[in-house]
Amino acid sequence: MKYMIIIYDNAQMRERFSGDAALGAEVDAIIAELTESGELVGGEALADPSQTKTIRVVDGVPAITDGPFAEAKEHLGGYLMVECETPERAADIARRWPSARFAPLEVWPVMSQDGAEM
Amino acid sequence: VSSGVRVEDQLRALAPQVLGALVRRHPRQFDACEDAVQEALLAATRQWPGEGVPDDPRAWLLTVAGRRLTDAWRSESARRAREEGAAAAEPAHARVAPGADDEAVALAEAPADGDDTLTLLVLCCHPELSPPSQIALTLRAVGGLTTAEIAAAFLVPEATMAQRISRAKARIRATGTRFALPAGEERAARLGAVLHVLYLIFNEGYTASSGARLARAELTGEAIRLARALHAHLPDDGEVAGLLALMLLTDARRPARTGPDGSLVPLAEQDRTRWSREEIAEGIALVTDALARAPLGPYQLQAAIAAVHAEAEDAEATDWRQIVALYRVLERVAPNPMVSLNHAVAVAMVDGPRAGLARLEQLDERLAASHRLVAVRAHLLERAGEADAARAAYREAARRTTSLPERRYLEGRAAALV
Repeated sequence: MKYMIIIYDNAQMRERFSGDAALGAEVDAIIAELTESGELVGGEALADPSQTKTIRVVDGVPAITDGPFAEAKEHLGGYLMVECETPERAADIARRWPSARFAPLEVWPVMSQDGAEM
Repeated sequence: VSSGVRVEDQLRALAPQVLGALVRRHPRQFDACEDAVQEALLAATRQWPGEGVPDDPRAWLLTVAGRRLTDAWRSESARRAREEGAAAAEPAHARVAPGADDEAVALAEAPADGDDTLTLLVLCCHPELSPPSQIALTLRAVGGLTTAEIAAAFLVPEATMAQRISRAKARIRATGTRFALPAGEERAARLGAVLHVLYLIFNEGYTASSGARLARAELTGEAIRLARALHAHLPDDGEVAGLLALMLLTDARRPARTGPDGSLVPLAEQDRTRWSREEIAEGIALVTDALARAPLGPYQLQAAIAAVHAEAEDAEATDWRQIVALYRVLERVAPNPMVSLNHAVAVAMVDGPRAGLARLEQLDERLAASHRLVAVRAHLLERAGEADAARAAYREAARRTTSLPERRYLEGRAAALV
């Protein structure tokens, strides 16, 4: 089963990570473990919200604004795509991700195109 | 194009024979041998379509694989690995790099093809490996598929699949497993694991939706091919025959199980004229023969149930009493929650939806999180005329499934009740 682990970010976290090399090393160690186990499917970090556009189409008229919700304290920071045998394993990966100490992560099962005869 | 397809089929059939011959010669080098055979298969894929298939394709592959093995041993990393690990454990003659002539001798010494296929299957389905690793290694080492093909079928990057395969091989190496069939009770248990892996491969392909997922859908053909090879080698094993029959009888429904838009068509609504008569005839013959002369087992029983469906002209003509009887036996022989759920469906077809719903009450705990239980309840509530409750149950099941086609199907049923 594939899971997307959505990693949230906030301004404080960015400061903590840049000032603490050990946190980056923790990330590297988890990525190495997931690569070795064959569970890592993909993952990326996302740019700062100021580089982001929000697009909406209202009554056929597209409206494009800078950034996501400016007032939000937390925003999308990146994601991991993993394939795990159990949801518990996916949650365990998220729990150990160092940013979990500063901002939430979410574990979402990924929909598949397969279907059984009902 | 047709010759290209033939080369591919030929290579897949030869893969376990060549690997078996190589591993018997270098018994502690399963992982290196497997890599060498894979490289030989890739070389053949590149060369044969243009230059023609060699007179003795098996000897050609074995010679090329033997050379690759020699090259690997000569390379820096292989030499280091040998110094660290294998040197102490291996007799000196096993470390001498083989020449092409040695490989030809190994081929001449080879037992009947089936022996190697069975031994390789048992090795790849080693109990120390997780099911995804067993599946990946079986498809590569016995099925002769490339890592890229397996990765495409399982919808993961090639690097991820390559890592799973090399990890699986490293684990087999670490267990020190010999390249030989186990005896007695262990043999039966290990054969059971092989059948389960082939069944999982089949299901991965069968549940794939049509169209875009072609590489994935081909897994059913691979599973049937491997089950056929196993059956050819163990013709008296009722469960091997049962599994092959179950695959054929299920695969026969494939042309009818999805609509042109990829939507799921339930068994009761399938256009049975589109079922494959050829596969049904072969499946029925296999399961009938197995039931008559082999000890009863779960795959034979599931195949027998599939055969009852296959024999019915339409859904109404289905002999549900016989299906109920078969599920009763299956629940005793191999109890599991999904069998109980299907048993409840069959009971509902004989004794009415209320009887089926009553049975579901006893299942709730074991299948609490399953969308299937809720989907079955929704169907039975609909048949019982309880539209509101059925609609709520369809929506609940739609929220629980992680399959897009199932979600669309369940939401469609809910919407039709409004």
